[in-house]
Amino acid sequence: MDLFLQQSANAVALGGIYALLALGLAVVFSIMGLINFAHGELMTISGYVLMYCGIAAVPFPLAVILAIGAAILAAIAMERIAFRPVRGSSGATLLVTSFAIAMILQMLFQNLISARSQPVLLPAILSESVTIFGLIIGVNKIAAIISTIVMLIFLDWFMTKQKTGIAMRAAAEDFSIARLMGIHANTVIAGAFALSGLLAGVAAVLWVSQRASVDPLMGFTPVLKAFIAAILGGLGSLKGAVAGGFLLAFIEVYLSAFLPHGMQEFREPIGLAIVVLVLLFRPNGLLPAKTLAAEKV
Amino acid sequence: MISSQKQQLFISIISICLFGILVAGFASFFGSVSERVVSVFFISLIAVVGMGVYSGNSGILTFGHLAFMGIGAYASSLLTLPVRIKSTTLPALPDWLATTELGLLPAVVSAVLLTVIVAAIVGIAVNRLEGSAATIATLGMLIIAHGVTIGWRDVTRGAQSFFGVPRLTDVWVAALGCVLALIVARLYRDSNSGLKLRAGRDNAIAASAIGVKIKRERLISWILSAAIMALSGALLAHFLGAFSPKKFYFTDTFFLLSMLIVGGMTTVTGAVTGAVVITIVSEVLRRHEGGFTFLSIEVPTVFGMTQIGIALIILFAMFKKAEGLAGLKEWEERIFPIKRKITASEASKSATKNTKTASLSATNMTMQFGGLVAVDNVLITIKSGEILGLIGPNGSGKTTMLNMLSGVLSPTKGQILLGDKPIINANSAKFAQLGIARTFQNIRLFGSLTVWQNVNIAALSTNDGKDSDLRTKSAILRLGIADLIEQDAGTLSYGLQRKVEIARALACNPSLLYLDEPAAGMNPEETQALMTILSDIAREDSIGILLVDHDLKLINQLCDRIIVFNEGKLIAQGTPDEIRTNHSVREAYLGRNYKQD
Repeated sequence: MDLFLQQSANAVALGGIYALLALGLAVVFSIMGLINFAHGELMTISGYVLMYCGIAAVPFPLAVILAIGAAILAAIAMERIAFRPVRGSSGATLLVTSFAIAMILQMLFQNLISARSQPVLLPAILSESVTIFGLIIGVNKIAAIISTIVMLIFLDWFMTKQKTGIAMRAAAEDFSIARLMGIHANTVIAGAFALSGLLAGVAAVLWVSQRASVDPLMGFTPVLKAFIAAILGGLGSLKGAVAGGFLLAFIEVYLSAFLPHGMQEFREPIGLAIVVLVLLFRPNGLLPAKTLAAEKV
Repeated sequence: MISSQKQQLFISIISICLFGILVAGFASFFGSVSERVVSVFFISLIAVVGMGVYSGNSGILTFGHLAFMGIGAYASSLLTLPVRIKSTTLPALPDWLATTELGLLPAVVSAVLLTVIVAAIVGIAVNRLEGSAATIATLGMLIIAHGVTIGWRDVTRGAQSFFGVPRLTDVWVAALGCVLALIVARLYRDSNSGLKLRAGRDNAIAASAIGVKIKRERLISWILSAAIMALSGALLAHFLGAFSPKKFYFTDTFFLLSMLIVGGMTTVTGAVTGAVVITIVSEVLRRHEGGFTFLSIEVPTVFGMTQIGIALIILFAMFKKAEGLAGLKEWEERIFPIKRKITASEASKSATKNTKTASLSATNMTMQFGGLVAVDNVLITIKSGEILGLIGPNGSGKTTMLNMLSGVLSPTKGQILLGDKPIINANSAKFAQLGIARTFQNIRLFGSLTVWQNVNIAALSTNDGKDSDLRTKSAILRLGIADLIEQDAGTLSYGLQRKVEIARALACNPSLLYLDEPAAGMNPEETQALMTILSDIAREDSIGILLVDHDLKLINQLCDRIIVFNEGKLIAQGTPDEIRTNHSVREAYLGRNYKQD
């Protein structure tokens, strides 16, 4: 039972990161139909900023702000330079464009920084752990859980109470009508990218604080997982992204904790097979986006 | 000059064969280095064209097809690997496999068959997803296959190198495989299944409404493309002699996808173009990766310069020519366009009369969108041979009604009877096959296909494709668009597109035809001509027509009976004269305070 609770806490911490990443993907997808492969590279950029801040002995809270800010700026720049020229193209064109951007950024990191994994200096408190209700939980995991909750509350407030957030939801339902209502396309799309950068930045800080290293491919794997989480939850649906992120994390953590030793090698295929199974019964995901049903004929 | 599809395909096949022979011949003339480069080129091209068979025709990008390539590689290698090597490197193999040693051809064929089985199973799952979700699912498939390959040590040697595979693929074998794959892909593109799938890619809702079972065609192309990938993988394994799971993962996926995308994924011409361009660029870049001097500037060693170069080419292609260098048409379609002629003599021969006439009655039809009741408990009947007008103010539920009566929407409540048989749980493809055809308010044509193909696909997808060419010709002649048949439907003017849509619906050989604002955007002469055509269709072929339009002159002159909707309810029905004087109709259109003077 203890092991179960312990692993559940781990799953919540991991699920939070997946959820934040999947949310970042969903925000952009719901508005412009782009699945952003380069989302992981936003994470990597944040990771490198943390690394350089550690080397320059910048106070950690400031380093976190700089890292998140860098991801936001990078996301906005990415939209301006790479995605604006292909705006409105087919999903495949957008996807391929983002794939190429991801590839270029990865190669740039390898050439300009290092192909190898680099250590990141973190405050000692993050690697300590505390005992809550008999469970030993790392401070970094608690930080991840709290940050996720704060981000989800913030996002909910932003999307329901803030003008830009409401405009984004309108644009997600019907972009052309939203534009006729006086919503600026550029503002909404740039806003969506900034938001996705923010989410990627927070996820990166949480990810790095549990691993204390960064490499050129750092963002690639978690974002692959976030893709799967986004599909699992329902592509383009924000609530679905959160649900999918947590469900995927629970599947992964429980499999790695409870799968017999001989089967551990097949952990990833089995986990994905479970996801496929869920999708067979709910092809549009756990909480499908409304826009799927609203296509005009 | 070219008057049929067959001649065009013949030109294509001959040139593919010539291409294979010439390139392989040149390569063997220049020696072993060029032979290696060209062999890799051929094998890559097989994979590219394999991905194109699925992605190009269905419009769904795939990231997962290298999984099939991997299965083909491992399966064929396990069969050709000499028994003595197997006993040392793979001691845990089951006996039957440990003692098997086949030649290249049977091994490749077995590997392809195995892959087909796997693809069929996986395809059923992937097929449930649409668009981008399907793309990500293929990505998941790649990760699963990679994980299984690494975990299944007894058979695959895990992450370690799988070596000792006899090197049986030389440049001529690769060329042969490539020519075969190109021909299969080219023939599939213009096969019935390929055509239907491309229609679904251009407009899924319209394709379904003329009877195309998109998922079925998608599965066919998925399995065929997996088979081609397996061929590529098997040849690659017997070219390299040693490989590991990494060979079938992201790096090579990126490399092959870039060929597909830069060239243009919808054509075989595009696959070849992309493979040539990317092969040349990457060969050049790879040689300069260790640094070089350009105009006396020292360029230092750049790690992964090939990838950056390819990524930049992709970006350039996406920004400037998103459909790829080769565009949407095969080279032979551009240089040797088909010149089909439909003569009037064929018209008399082809005037196959509609045999199945049936009336339709729908009761209790209700459609709710959340809290909004768009159509509320409506009863409607359409008899064969009559023209029934459906009018009402904007937002009164006319199009929703049409969508329910054609299977595009399934009603919240209500029952539809065709003749005396209820239509239950049917999608729009099923409705089309039962003889209910329709057009759309906002035109839905297959823009990248020709007018002939647009109409022909409808004929092929209904009545089991019987007499499809005759039905196509007859529908085209009826609408008077015979001189447009080789033009792309997307390039026509608005009024002509409407006519193509009606011809397409007629080619389904329907007993009932729904037209959603057919005269919108037509000038008075065109409207007049359309009215003549429509009344002919109803009288001569005894097709029942349900006509939605705002042009009351057209409705009044053409319709035998009119029903009027307001706020989702049927408020009146009767002959045009009765409707003209109906009080509640006037109220609906002009407001409650309207006073008759």
